Amino acid sequence: MADKAAAIIAGLGGADNILDMEPCATRLRTEVRDPAKVDTAALKKAGAYGVLTAGTVIQVVVGPEADTLASDIEDLLE
Amino acid sequence: MSAAAGPAEPAVTTLDVLAPMAGRVLPLAEVPDPVFSAAMVGPGLAVAPELAPGTAVAPVAGRIVTLHPHAFVLEAGPGRGVLVHLGLDTVQLHGAGFTLLAAAGDLVTAGQPVVRWDPAAVTAGGRSAVCPVVALDADGSALADLAAGPIAAGALLFRWT
Repeated sequence: MADKAAAIIAGLGGADNILDMEPCATRLRTEVRDPAKVDTAALKKAGAYGVLTAGTVIQVVVGPEADTLASDIEDLLE
Repeated sequence: MSAAAGPAEPAVTTLDVLAPMAGRVLPLAEVPDPVFSAAMVGPGLAVAPELAPGTAVAPVAGRIVTLHPHAFVLEAGPGRGVLVHLGLDTVQLHGAGFTLLAAAGDLVTAGQPVVRWDPAAVTAGGRSAVCPVVALDADGSALADLAAGPIAAGALLFRWT
């Protein structure tokens, strides 16, 4: 799970690119500094069902493990 | 529970998924949210609830493995997760207007109240109160006996075969 968290951070353009992350029931709602640095293919490879992009808001659809994944990611970002 | 006679393999029993609240049944494709309408996390149906304060009840018997004010996941068995999402974009409400009636980790019976909420307050805030009920990671062809039209709380919404 920690590997998956690291892969998602990388897919979102790295820790420095992530401004905010909030887990929903099925997805990670993330705000990034530079959406151009987001690698959708890498996020899908990391296990995301899909990635929705609207400006700087990136929603990574990860399914019901969003909660645990978000706390793993927060641990890595700290 | 399945009606199979004699010793049956638990993995192949059919799971009855009940409506978590009264309302009108919609196909997931009509839910105005790209994740649910594309069945990204699984197939299912949605219920447009009556716009009055009410409770969302457990659609299946099982353990509450995820519990947010606005959404919960019940695990009825291995690979049998059922998600109920109360309204759309309701994570943004940060729990305001939702009262939890059960706790994460609880074993609940089908029909047991899980969250009290007010769909009218959700729509008054400019959000959709539509509630997707999703068979997580299921194959689309695994769902049968899909309900349509008006439905009562606790009535059969679909069967997960």
